[in-house]
Amino acid sequence: MVSKFFSYIVQGTAVTVEVTLIALPFGLMIGLIFALLYNYGGKWSTRLTGLYSLLMRGVPPIVLLFILYFFLSGQFINLTPFWAGSLALGIISSAYQMEILRGALQAVGGGQMTAARAIGMNRMQALRYIIIPQAIRLAIPPWSNEVSIVLKDSSLVYALGVPEILRRAQQLSATTQQPFLAFGAAALIYFALVFLANRGLDYLAQKTRLPAYNP
Amino acid sequence: MKRSFSWISCLLVLSFLLAACGGGGGSHLDKIKQAGVIKVGTSADYPPFEYVDENGHKTGFDIELMEEIGKQLGVKVEWVDMPFDSLIAGVQEGKIDASISAFNYTAERDKVVDFTDPYLTAEDAFLVADGFSGTISKPEDVANYKVGVQTGTTQDDWLTNVLKIPESNLFRYDRADQVAMDLKNGRIDVMMADYIPAKALAEKIGGLKIILKTVVSSGPMNIVIPDGDKELATAINDILKKLKDNGFIDNLATKYFTPQ
Repeated sequence: MVSKFFSYIVQGTAVTVEVTLIALPFGLMIGLIFALLYNYGGKWSTRLTGLYSLLMRGVPPIVLLFILYFFLSGQFINLTPFWAGSLALGIISSAYQMEILRGALQAVGGGQMTAARAIGMNRMQALRYIIIPQAIRLAIPPWSNEVSIVLKDSSLVYALGVPEILRRAQQLSATTQQPFLAFGAAALIYFALVFLANRGLDYLAQKTRLPAYNP
Repeated sequence: MKRSFSWISCLLVLSFLLAACGGGGGSHLDKIKQAGVIKVGTSADYPPFEYVDENGHKTGFDIELMEEIGKQLGVKVEWVDMPFDSLIAGVQEGKIDASISAFNYTAERDKVVDFTDPYLTAEDAFLVADGFSGTISKPEDVANYKVGVQTGTTQDDWLTNVLKIPESNLFRYDRADQVAMDLKNGRIDVMMADYIPAKALAEKIGGLKIILKTVVSSGPMNIVIPDGDKELATAINDILKKLKDNGFIDNLATKYFTPQ
């Protein structure tokens, strides 16, 4: 009974992991571009990207999911519930990742840009070879926070009919009236996923640490 | 930077690939038959109407009925499990072809979707914990107690709009089993739900009893289909009539609604 329980819920893990693996890189891509625009793009791109971040962090993820799936999808582009959910989570996450990267870019400091320009690099070269490599390293610890959040927020795609871990636990809870067992199993799986992700990122941070930043 | 560009194009290509057919002429029913699949939404957390059994398969009265309807239409049923309050939006926006989830007719719902003929008549039940000391002799009496209900159900509608129960006495939940658990834990005094699932919950959880059975909010149950889809309505209604006449629906009711 308990093992059947567990195996039914575990089947939702693939969906949870897939949604996370789409939302996170998608968010990282937009987040990085917007963070660069915010810090180095001039007055108007600072304003616009700042507004984007404010809006996307202000909207509850579920609302964006509904807008993307029920209203936008089908009018301009046909998205499956899975893709609509993953992209919506990616958009929300991009705003948070933008803030993480913006902080990291600022932490690298303006002096390094000045120094890079002084030895003859142009702005793009300075960003690419000096600023970004350092900023990305600084961003890893706060970024692992975002990974756990996206992983757990991925349960929202159930509202569009994608059966992930939490929805499967709900179904079993309704059928068997053993909520503790059902949700306990779900909690255990989430914990294992977050644990693995965070440990992996800790390792990455160790491996890529720069000698100069040795605390 | 190159890397990000390849990501963008990957995503764009993928989303175009995933963009389902759409477009094209023909009626909704023709399209369903052409695809050989009818996408039906349900909220599989409402035993004995729709739930997931111990092996993880969707089952229940509504599920078996719809599978039979699909068979008679000559198409496969593709189940889409959604929260109850996303289902109407799903049908309205054409994300699913129909929905069966113990839906009762309401004028509000009828504005945005259509209903087939009824396949079963539902009654309301008021559940209390065994030690309940108050009196509920008519439905209106519940206004004096803390009442729990599943969001978006006809019972929710009745309590809110007909009885106009004070907001401080109304507790809305995502799922029926959460209401029953809180009733048992003493956070609410009364639960209002469809009679058949309420009875099933009371038996399963224990320590709960039905204090009053009545018909105020519910009534006939229907399958939800897109607004104005006459052709699909006719096709399903014909099959429903056949299934009523040949005893299929009665047999299903005996199978799912008789206490073990």
